[in-house]
Amino acid sequence: MRRRGFLGLAAASALAGCGYRSVDAIYSQPAGGVPKQYANRVRVVFWSSFGGVNGKAVDGLVAKFNESQQDVYVEVQFQGSYDDVAQKIAAALVAKQAPDLAILSDVTWERFFLNDALEPLNGYFTDGFGPGVYQPKLFGEYVVKEQSWAVPFARSTPILYYNRDAFAKAGLPDRAPRTWSELRSWGPELARVQSGGRSLRTIAFAKIDGDWQFQGNVWQFGGAYSDGLDVKIDQDGAVAAGEWQREMVHGLGQAYMASSPSTDFANGLVGVIQESTGGMKTITGKAKFEVGAGFIPSEVATGIATGGGGIGMLRNISSERKQAAAAFLTFLARPENSAWWTTQTGYLPVVNAAREDAELKKLIAEQPNYGVAIAQLANARQQDAIRLYGRNSNVAIYTGLQQIYADNAAPREVFRSVARRLEAIGDEVRRQYEEKVL
Amino acid sequence: MKARPLQYVALLGVAAIFLGPLYWLLSTAFKQPAEIYQWPPVWWPDQLTWENFSLAWKAAPFDRFFLNSAIITVAGTVLKVANAVLTAYAFAYLRFPFKKVLFLLILGAMMVPGHVTLLPNYLTVASLGWINTYAGLIIPGIGSAFATFLMRQHFLTLPSEVTDAAAVDGAGHLRTLWRVVLPMSQPMLITVVVITAVEEWNNFVWPLIVTNTASMRTLPVGLLILKDEEGLANWGTIMAGTLLVLAPMLLIFLVAQRYIVGGITQGALKG
Repeated sequence: MRRRGFLGLAAASALAGCGYRSVDAIYSQPAGGVPKQYANRVRVVFWSSFGGVNGKAVDGLVAKFNESQQDVYVEVQFQGSYDDVAQKIAAALVAKQAPDLAILSDVTWERFFLNDALEPLNGYFTDGFGPGVYQPKLFGEYVVKEQSWAVPFARSTPILYYNRDAFAKAGLPDRAPRTWSELRSWGPELARVQSGGRSLRTIAFAKIDGDWQFQGNVWQFGGAYSDGLDVKIDQDGAVAAGEWQREMVHGLGQAYMASSPSTDFANGLVGVIQESTGGMKTITGKAKFEVGAGFIPSEVATGIATGGGGIGMLRNISSERKQAAAAFLTFLARPENSAWWTTQTGYLPVVNAAREDAELKKLIAEQPNYGVAIAQLANARQQDAIRLYGRNSNVAIYTGLQQIYADNAAPREVFRSVARRLEAIGDEVRRQYEEKVL
Repeated sequence: MKARPLQYVALLGVAAIFLGPLYWLLSTAFKQPAEIYQWPPVWWPDQLTWENFSLAWKAAPFDRFFLNSAIITVAGTVLKVANAVLTAYAFAYLRFPFKKVLFLLILGAMMVPGHVTLLPNYLTVASLGWINTYAGLIIPGIGSAFATFLMRQHFLTLPSEVTDAAAVDGAGHLRTLWRVVLPMSQPMLITVVVITAVEEWNNFVWPLIVTNTASMRTLPVGLLILKDEEGLANWGTIMAGTLLVLAPMLLIFLVAQRYIVGGITQGALKG
């Protein structure tokens, strides 16, 4: 049985239908437990997608918030991956339940926005919480027609992690490659390094969700996923990016598809990976070697995709719950909290003033890796609309990539059929997109 | 006689296919991370480490998951088997209108894939307010067409003289069921109990969708949490967690297995 199948079904009936749900109905709160000392406060349920090191950092922020005031109790409920959270919300709305706040990824907040499930946030903005406070690029991605629908929180870009010890053994310079061609030319040197009884492979591509990194790769090779909702993935630039990766895997044997590239990297099996900056603390903590980080290489152009999670407020909740939820968002927008989150995870500081925080500055001075994504943010931009607004576009794209990595399929053929799928997906949302976004 | 060596080779091959992954699971749970990725594979860990188990136990509230899984498995199995036995008895021994049609409907329910009923069940449970409760976890699963079918087919093989004799002695239906039919069906009953218990224990999709909080989640969902540690799966820890989840069912199977095998030979002798 496939849970994605079911939850997709639930999501479809919850969102595509609209008839199910009155946009201003007030839904009940998911159950949970409130410790005795917080019993008299307004309870806010916050659905999170962070486990492990980053989950502990979320818990830390929430605990600090609950200690800092007398009126609101925030309860974090971990729901799995970004997609799991989105599907849980869709299923909850069908059941007439709604969490108050939820982590929504770069590709999930749009569908809740399009279906009127998110609370517009402009009305809650104050001096300490709003447009002037956040990093403008990241804040602006959630603004549609001058209304904010979520605020940035765990925002990231991919960065290039490299194994400094292996690079030194291979006689390579201690830096990330500047272009993909340069990385390819380093393959033979890296292959001479032995790791776990095998020769080191150059790069690992992700089996699931690799379409996020690949968005940037397509730009770097001069292509695009789409222009608006007009699909471009079957055109030259994207095909060249796919062909470069196919050649690395099947022609040169320097690359492979991994179910978790960061696990393989941390265990020293592969020389470089493109991974979210949000994995910095986790990867650095697990790796038994010196981890290096640098910009994602270019090829004919530069450009990387922003990504990661923001926080959205659900619309179908009482105004008391909304006010309480806004109080927590305001707390997260304080520079010291944003900076602390960055030091504990590696995610970008989403609040402008957080960059001046003494703790963060000290960390970056000691471990420059934490500053890479911040410096690289100048090259980052919002992704092509088809990936953002098309429901399950990401799945269609990474399934195509899997065919290239696993079956040695020709990228032009693969992307031609992916393009047909994306066009169908685009047609589903075109009416809503033109009405609400353009 | 000549076939003997060949048979052994074939048996060893099949055993390797079944036991190989289990052995890999077991040995990985005791390995250090570096050994897991070693090539050629390390078949026996150099230094047995218990660290993976404590890491797994600490990564998620496994004590709570164990409790929830135990409650759901015990309550779910009792209700499901009781339901199946009573229904099967009715279909085997009672006379009532539309019996054939109703039985065909139950058989039909067996053919419907689980996906199809998930969404309606979810909506029903949601409108009853049972999301994130034990009732929501247990009640939708207590009707089992498969268990009913197995029990009914077995009841039909029992000699009618025995139940007739019980009726002559004045036993009612419940007494006949409890004193005559069930004792004669012990192996099949145990088989059904074991199958049901394993099914309840391993159930993943339903607990995942009807629970929201760690305090209501079960072990298989706990394994997902263990694996979701922000993309950095530590396989040793995951295997240790899997072993913890696997162990109780393995024990139940080992204990019950004698009866199941006994049941099969018993049936064979009857001819």
